Amino acid sequence: MLTLANVDAVYGGVIQVLRSTNLDVREGQMVVLLGANGAGKTTTLKAISGLLHADHGAVTAGRISFAGQDITHAEPSEIVRAGMVQVLEGRRVLEHLTVYQNLMVGAHLRSDRAGVKADLERVYGYFPALPELAGRIAGYLSGGEMQMVLIGRALMARPRLLILDEPSMGLAPILTQQLFRTIGRIKRDEGLTVLLVEQNARAAISQCDYGYIMEGGRIVLHGSRAELEGNQDVQEFYLGMGGGAERVSYRDVKHYRRRKRWLG
Amino acid sequence: MIEFVQILIEGALVGLVYGLVAISFVVIYRASKIINLAQGEVVVVGAFLLWTFTEGMAGIGYPLPLWLALLLTLAGCVAFGWTIERTVFRPLIGQSAFTIFMAGVALLILLRGLAQLVWGAQSRSAPAILPEGALDLGPFLVNTRLLIGAVFTILLTQALHLFFTRSRLGLRLAAVAEDHTTAHSLGVSVRQAIAVAWIMGTVVATAAAVVLLSGSILSLEVAVIGFKALPVALLGGMESIRGAPLAGLIIGIFEALASAYLDPLTNGAASGLLPYVVMIAVLLIRPYGLFGWRKIERL
Repeated sequence: MLTLANVDAVYGGVIQVLRSTNLDVREGQMVVLLGANGAGKTTTLKAISGLLHADHGAVTAGRISFAGQDITHAEPSEIVRAGMVQVLEGRRVLEHLTVYQNLMVGAHLRSDRAGVKADLERVYGYFPALPELAGRIAGYLSGGEMQMVLIGRALMARPRLLILDEPSMGLAPILTQQLFRTIGRIKRDEGLTVLLVEQNARAAISQCDYGYIMEGGRIVLHGSRAELEGNQDVQEFYLGMGGGAERVSYRDVKHYRRRKRWLG
Repeated sequence: MIEFVQILIEGALVGLVYGLVAISFVVIYRASKIINLAQGEVVVVGAFLLWTFTEGMAGIGYPLPLWLALLLTLAGCVAFGWTIERTVFRPLIGQSAFTIFMAGVALLILLRGLAQLVWGAQSRSAPAILPEGALDLGPFLVNTRLLIGAVFTILLTQALHLFFTRSRLGLRLAAVAEDHTTAHSLGVSVRQAIAVAWIMGTVVATAAAVVLLSGSILSLEVAVIGFKALPVALLGGMESIRGAPLAGLIIGIFEALASAYLDPLTNGAASGLLPYVVMIAVLLIRPYGLFGWRKIERL
């Protein structure tokens, strides 16, 4: 459904962030993209959604295609129209608008009033807390409530592919669990494809069908959930399980192990 | 007492016209984050366009029906607003606030010069679109033209409010007003939204010109209205459509009171000064105005 082929991305004309990144999201899958800070996850997502320009970035090589369409240099509005919506990191609600208005902005490209109304009811179904908050100013909601508004707003565009950038950031573990359960439910019920960037590797891997791991602007490892869960490095670095009998310090192992297996 | 109420009424009506110009500032600022210093000149150009299609055409022997003249004026200011955005401010997207400020100053001087070049510097009588005269309300006299303008301002405010909170295009503009990156991510074409905002701002400014000048004198000096309305927009809050007429009421009434009671003591300086005293006070005490958007900081 979504394919990145050898994509390079550069900021400000000089700083190369993505190096020949390859990624493939199949229809109906939940795909997770993991990696340390600065690995290029958010840049990958922004390249996909056509949002690099706002940060003075650009895709300089490779090809991004969505549903058979080349979207490498498409405008964000064309990409949303094609059926892909991204929820940016950092809870970007429209903070002076009400929750209801936020949700309706999500549907601004649609002219089918009845469909929009039905989708609003569906969003309220997934997030039963939202109807009561509908009249509230979004900027004063709690973090968990904002995240519901953001995902709801994205759903109002009726996407086929939903991209989420660190939805669990700053949420309590119980809320994170709930959130991932809801995302899983939405994916099943709506037949949605989901691409997810997460720091919370355990929660993300447990929900995903397939995963990619990025480092230094490259995909260094990818595999199905079972493969990732079974991989010793993933266990060590992302799931916090020791590789051997005695726990090894992260610092000792950082360079040596990772280079050896992933890049070697 | 009757005189006092009369002053209040006049101040309120003039203030609502300031509010109308302030709305044009607000509409442009919300989308583009640019305070158009040349908005007074935009009002003047709008007024001259209207003059051209009414008195001007009649003067050379081709009088147009009023509806056609108004339609042509509307088309003219749509093109004018779009041109300003396209040629001056769009190329400056992403530049520093200082660059944009200087571009605003340049635009102000440029438009003043262009208006003089095209229409000449002499004063003219502006077309009388609205009925002149005064309405007798018991002991009070109300200027019909200003009354119509005031009612129009209030209706327009409500209409714009509904537009920005209900309609798809309005919500798009509201999203752009909040944050360009978020708007992009939702598939809003930010450039298109900014262009629409400039066109709307120019049309509203021209509507203000009609109300303000109907049957009175049209000259380049009219541009002062821009700098009278700027404090109104700041007081109301640069993002708030509904704040503008309210702030207009406040400033209009204070100005009228100052004009009646302080001007005789100050050689007429007090009423001219007052809006700017208010402006500086607003900037010092509450920079986001009465209803403007304050950055929401969550702790």
